[in-house]
Amino acid sequence: MRTLILSLCAVALALPARATVLIPADLGELAHDALAIARGRVAAVDAQWTEDRGTIETIVTLEVEGYLKGALGSTVRFRTPGGELGRFRSIVVGAPEFAVGQRIIVFLGARGPSVPHVLGLSQGVFRIARAADNSGWVVMPPTLWPATAGDVRVVRGETSRRPVRLDDFEQRIRVLAGGAK
Amino acid sequence: MNRRHLHVACAALLALMCAQPQPALAYLKFGVPANGRQVTLKWAQTPVRYFISTQSAAAGVNASEFQAAVARAFATWEAVPSSSISYQLAGITAATPGRDDGLSVLGFLNRPDLDRVLASTSFLVDRVTGALVESDIFFNASFIWSVDSAGAANRFDLESIALHEIGHLSGLGHSALGETELREGGGRRVLGAEAVMFPIAFAAGSIAGRTLKADDIAGISDLYPAADFEGSTGSMSGTVTKNGQPVFGAHVVAFDPAKGSLVGSFTLNAQGQFSINGLSPGPHIVRVEPIDDAEVDSFFDANGVDTDFRVAFSDRVVVVPRGGDSGPVTVTVVRK
Repeated sequence: MRTLILSLCAVALALPARATVLIPADLGELAHDALAIARGRVAAVDAQWTEDRGTIETIVTLEVEGYLKGALGSTVRFRTPGGELGRFRSIVVGAPEFAVGQRIIVFLGARGPSVPHVLGLSQGVFRIARAADNSGWVVMPPTLWPATAGDVRVVRGETSRRPVRLDDFEQRIRVLAGGAK
Repeated sequence: MNRRHLHVACAALLALMCAQPQPALAYLKFGVPANGRQVTLKWAQTPVRYFISTQSAAAGVNASEFQAAVARAFATWEAVPSSSISYQLAGITAATPGRDDGLSVLGFLNRPDLDRVLASTSFLVDRVTGALVESDIFFNASFIWSVDSAGAANRFDLESIALHEIGHLSGLGHSALGETELREGGGRRVLGAEAVMFPIAFAAGSIAGRTLKADDIAGISDLYPAADFEGSTGSMSGTVTKNGQPVFGAHVVAFDPAKGSLVGSFTLNAQGQFSINGLSPGPHIVRVEPIDDAEVDSFFDANGVDTDFRVAFSDRVVVVPRGGDSGPVTVTVVRK
């Protein structure tokens, strides 16, 4: 679901709403905390009222190609806040948005017997895209791997930071997740 | 460019390259589609009326402290002289934030499932008219908060976080004017930010987020301009290209060396164009960089965003005229 569309006009950039104060996670923390880490293709995006009918949430159905951690079945449904119902759109800023057909890797958490949620909101979603040179699949955005030899300042435009190949990404995530598969 | 401007440019470029934290991005405004057109998300009328939830106490903060801290944050935005935004406390309500009830409510919710979210803003928007119906802010009671004037160790500063979220409630998106580092022991922390609207929180105990920066001020003034805003500031517009093709999702930062201020924008259309309003008149240095150090989704949809290029600067100092636009600025970037 692409609920908000980009625009450029003479006086203003109008953008999708993303607006949350986050405590940043690195991939090691996300991998450790995740109940499951799944790669798959978004099959359905359905908005619904929350159980208390207080607001709108969206249930995303993922056709799972494989798990990097845990296993929740060949199809997994997870929730993300906000969505469109009737005349109104509820936007919970900071919540990721999904469209049918997208390939993603998603880090899922859950508390008790509930529909899983995305860990860390947008921090727990990685998009799978074709490499610019069409040589295969890469994971977006470029990944910040955990620092292993002292604190590391993150510098924009650094030539070493490129989209990671999907198989490399998965291999490293499995290691970070403790070898779970 | 005369010799003086060249010297200024060189000094500023050096400062830009050496500064800690390294400068980056700019303010954003939200937009929503409504009936086939694009509408900037903002309040049609001011003062913006808000309610405080009776659920306004959490570890470290009681209800009156919560109300006072939130009031200070609203007052900080109202005090921007180039903006006309104003807010009004409409009352205390039993309603809670996050419910689509037509009221704009601020309060605590205990959301341990949102384990890395200190606070969040939500909107309810009429899809037909694009009207902003309500905006709620919830603060996560799963964390320990502080309202101490000097901050408190291991507690998150409520006023700082409220200032950020009220920026969203007013219609501002995230700014990327900040720098982080990865910690050897795990995690990531903010080294510095040149915008309250930077999406990643300072460490617990910090009160650095209580002061608006140039980027925040330009953003709120652009959304709700005071009478003299457009006449007293200027704008910059242009294009970012790579291999002759437009670049989507590049950060464009305008640095005013005279004031030491940073304001910027993103290229967010198929033509790779950007536009920055609310700039101080005078010479600016333009820096372009990829969003390759953060969750792009925190700013906008990551689909199609190009992060494969090196930092680049405009090849000339760009003079922003008072009450006018700089004229087209083109910055060419190259692949990593």
